[in-house]
Amino acid sequence: MAVTAKALPHAHAQEEHEDPREHLMLDPRPRGEMNAMAMEAMLSTNWKFWLVIVILAATVAYCLFYEWGVLIFEGQGVAGVTRPDYWGVFLVDVVFWIGISHAGTFISALLRVLKVEARRPFTRAAELMTTFGLVQAGISVFLHLGRVWLTYWMIPLPNQRGLWPDFHSPLMWDFMAITTYLLCSTMYLYMPLIPDLAMARDRSTGWRKLLYRVMALGFRGNEFQWKHLTTAMNIFAFAIIPVMFSVHTIVSWDFAMASRPGWSSTVFGPYFVIGALHSGIAAVLLVLFLIRSTMKHMDYFLRLEHFDFLGKLSLVISMIWAYFYFNDYIVPWYGGGTIEKTLLDFLARGPASPLWYAMLFCNIVVPWAILWNKNWRRKPWLLALVGIAVNIGMYLERYIIIPVTVTITRDPFTWRLYHPAIEIPITIGMFALFLLLYMLASRIIPLIPVWEVEEGQAAHSLRKLGKTEVVSLSELE
Amino acid sequence: MSENLTLLALFSDVEPASRGIETLHELGLEDKDINVLSGIPLKNTILGRPAAKTNVPRIGMLGALLGLGLGLFFIQGIPLIYPLYVGGQSLFPIPPTLIISFEMAMLGLMGFSFIGVFIESRFPSFEPENYVPEVSDGKIAVFFSCPPDLQNKATGLLSTAGAEVVKPVEAQQL
Repeated sequence: MAVTAKALPHAHAQEEHEDPREHLMLDPRPRGEMNAMAMEAMLSTNWKFWLVIVILAATVAYCLFYEWGVLIFEGQGVAGVTRPDYWGVFLVDVVFWIGISHAGTFISALLRVLKVEARRPFTRAAELMTTFGLVQAGISVFLHLGRVWLTYWMIPLPNQRGLWPDFHSPLMWDFMAITTYLLCSTMYLYMPLIPDLAMARDRSTGWRKLLYRVMALGFRGNEFQWKHLTTAMNIFAFAIIPVMFSVHTIVSWDFAMASRPGWSSTVFGPYFVIGALHSGIAAVLLVLFLIRSTMKHMDYFLRLEHFDFLGKLSLVISMIWAYFYFNDYIVPWYGGGTIEKTLLDFLARGPASPLWYAMLFCNIVVPWAILWNKNWRRKPWLLALVGIAVNIGMYLERYIIIPVTVTITRDPFTWRLYHPAIEIPITIGMFALFLLLYMLASRIIPLIPVWEVEEGQAAHSLRKLGKTEVVSLSELE
Repeated sequence: MSENLTLLALFSDVEPASRGIETLHELGLEDKDINVLSGIPLKNTILGRPAAKTNVPRIGMLGALLGLGLGLFFIQGIPLIYPLYVGGQSLFPIPPTLIISFEMAMLGLMGFSFIGVFIESRFPSFEPENYVPEVSDGKIAVFFSCPPDLQNKATGLLSTAGAEVVKPVEAQQL
């Protein structure tokens, strides 16, 4: 049989010729123009914006503050917690919001240390999520405590009972870790903001001028101020990474230190950390989509390449999360005791199975089915949907770990399904508070770190290599 | 003897700014007479300037040590004052000591680094200073003080080097 040899097509004929200007770092605009764009994005509001603000504020007032008042006045009896589920949705909220808060540090600090250039335009949007996420987590802790007026017993001061907090307790480790993380991430948000506040000061009038003048602290951009600021930012970038890991590890120890079926696991620390990153990065995808869709000029700063980058990151983290989940699952499945196996059966075939399968679908199937495709990764609305799905999945995961797992105790006569009551409106109020704070902040502080974008653009250039141009990167500081 | 004048030379880019600073050196001005403001951080060698020194890492390390000490007090000192035996555990266990002292050391490190920026940069500073808002638009402002008889020569040479504006300035309220 005759065989006809076909010439292979030249590889370069199939290559896509990408316009370098698709990349923000290779599409520079004058700094003054970028400043004007960032300012206009911040200052432009319309009636729709204020309508959403009013709706969110009303939701916060009723669902969070009024209902919290009811909870304080009536006591924890109005919540769904009772034997054996004393840890309910408020603690799910704590873990969920701390998870969301991991995105800012991860994106800003770790990618800064690793010199990942794609991070530049969206670090602040992510850092802001960290700060507000931790505020939500703090509120959730107070909600769970019940008698919030006794919160000061956690502070190491002698109280009227003559007792000091017991620092041997994982709950105190948690208090210390979250406090450290909240304070440090707020400082880390503020420091890179100072040059942009100075820019806003130079371009504002009225009350904004006064506000930015105070917040910019007299920053002028001389060599010493830059040196001190960038040195401190480098210290923070390195130091806050282990703190970030410690926070969610310690949160996991709140559970893993108890010898309870479903909790006592040596893999819980890294599993919680990667879960936090999974939900945090998914939330960044959603927030960046909203910013890009609703604020002026944001399509210049937040480009498809950034969604592509975060989509890839989200896919990899989803795979690592699945790996850890499987590790955590298979050991009790293979060799666990009766109670552990009952719990797994409860998840796979029992009343909690819809939640369990929904969690696996949202956390694994959705990101894996969508994020492998480069074209799909460059559709912001699709990534926003992935972000929503993953966050639903991660919320369900925390819900399964806390109230569902607590249901299966070693005393079967206490088994009881947990049904949240007042927790539902309060949780809705907390989501509304997060959105409200974020939307208001987006009108007060520049969401784009313009000086970091300009620094990146100044460092990037195209140079001729053979018959093409390649990107060249310089170190400016 | 007449007092020195403070002049501003405004440059749109790094290249002319570095030429301008070199020109000032050639005129006999020292680095301490020159102050450079920029919209992004620039390595000192780019503009031919001496390296700026900072004590922020030292202040941060001091904070880390203080935080470590406070953490050790919390975990080791408090049980001394108020002994509380729980679950048969040691009163002075090592793992919780590592956790609390780590968290407090990191809080001290970052908190003091943050304070260090304030101390070293003399923040907050609302006094009148040499400044032009064009700096935040990406221009490079070179402020220098020189004797009045050098003003015309410096102006001419800096304009040749690429300065957009060379003019005497006074400190202004930010």
